[in-house]
Amino acid sequence: MVILNGLIYLLVSFVTGLILMGISLKVTARVQKRIGPPIMQPWFDILKLFSKKTNISHGYMMDISVLMLLGGTLLSLFFLPNPYFAHTIYAADIIVLLYLLLFPSLGMAMGVGEAANPNGSIGISRALTMLAGYDFTITIVAVGLAIAANGITYFPAIVSSQAGGFIHWNILHYPLFAIAGFIALLGMLGEKPFEVMVAPHEIATGPMTEFGGKYLGMLFVQHAFALFIEVGIFVNLFLGGGNIYSFIAKIIGVFILLNFVNIVFARFKTEEAVAFFWKYPIILAMLQLIWVVIR
Amino acid sequence: MSNKKIVDQKAAWNHVYRRLNKRSLWMLHYCTGCGAVELPPTMTSRWDMSRFGVAPMVTPRQADILLITGYLAKKSLKRVILTYEQMQSPKWVVGFGSCTINGGMYWDSYSTIKQLSEYIPVDIYIAGCMPQPEAIIHGFNVLLDKINNGTANAWKDYYINYKKYRENQVKVLGEFVTNTDIEKEARYYGVVK
Repeated sequence: MVILNGLIYLLVSFVTGLILMGISLKVTARVQKRIGPPIMQPWFDILKLFSKKTNISHGYMMDISVLMLLGGTLLSLFFLPNPYFAHTIYAADIIVLLYLLLFPSLGMAMGVGEAANPNGSIGISRALTMLAGYDFTITIVAVGLAIAANGITYFPAIVSSQAGGFIHWNILHYPLFAIAGFIALLGMLGEKPFEVMVAPHEIATGPMTEFGGKYLGMLFVQHAFALFIEVGIFVNLFLGGGNIYSFIAKIIGVFILLNFVNIVFARFKTEEAVAFFWKYPIILAMLQLIWVVIR
Repeated sequence: MSNKKIVDQKAAWNHVYRRLNKRSLWMLHYCTGCGAVELPPTMTSRWDMSRFGVAPMVTPRQADILLITGYLAKKSLKRVILTYEQMQSPKWVVGFGSCTINGGMYWDSYSTIKQLSEYIPVDIYIAGCMPQPEAIIHGFNVLLDKINNGTANAWKDYYINYKKYRENQVKVLGEFVTNTDIEKEARYYGVVK
């Protein structure tokens, strides 16, 4: 039963992630007054990539890195609180989940190192630099919310402290945390003001430059899961989680909002992006944290 | 299972693969020629090519289509060949504009090549100087149909007739080295025994 539950959870999160990717394409297209690709486009992309006859591997480490990337993401998926899949999910600290989210970048760094493409190296160094921005922000936010929820960093407890209607949601009680968290989410997903890691037309596709065919297919699968997890963290922290339907609905809502921000902004330089995080979201989060502590 | 059944299954899977490939094509632009100016309207709101699943892609490893827009100088031909050999099969080449067909307005130039398909295999040409967005979209739809029918196999031709292509390349560029082991790749893809 637990195994079945886990498989259903994987399937649900994967399908949601792919729908999010489709929505992203569609929303971008509609804002630019285009019709855009069908919402099924990511499915076609992934299936096409897996049907490519890839013959390019740069060595053992590159093969492993893709698995590490996907494995790290799947592992963190099972730390994301979700009431419907409560028996499958290993409920733990939010700090553990944030720690596990670093795995994919490190896995990627190993693979990119083997491939030895200069664009890839630049991309991965940018990705790791960005951690100094958004990871601090999201950690301050998470710790602050934990203090607000009677000082426990147990993630399901933070979610359940918001039970009982939207009036108890953290987004209304701690709006500065919510703003900082939203900006950190943009950074985590590499959406446009902070799209320094995968900077198309500047450093090709960044870390993915040397990954084609089946490798890229794996990265797409990973991206689908990562979208679900990272937007899911925001929903759990601020919008009260909810049952499986409302959870997915909230994820889609937040993601569409993210895309609106993504479309209208240009790209920061790496140092600008990190400086921005230290100037605004971290200050906002710190102010709210002080308020939470002295209240 | 009998041998025929296996062949049938393989054909069915190939059909599925082709259908999927048709729905998602990423193209790498090689835009040294002036024809590239017709691409922005084709990609953006007026004609929106992404309706067909055709999207721009920036690295050869990830691209399916190599789009050569306009004339190729002899120096840039070498880069095109290197780029083409880095792409992963199945891959398609689209020659865009008259210059890739017969030299176009550069027919008597000393520094450009006249016919692209002498150097790398071309799946379709889009004629015109320069082709309108409607023509480009029509050209791509022809390519999609060819992929769907399984007749867009120019990439196999590169492995089968590599000697011929290489001879033509060397005639223009002199001896040069590419990092791709064509014979090994041909065996990998099962094009040559």
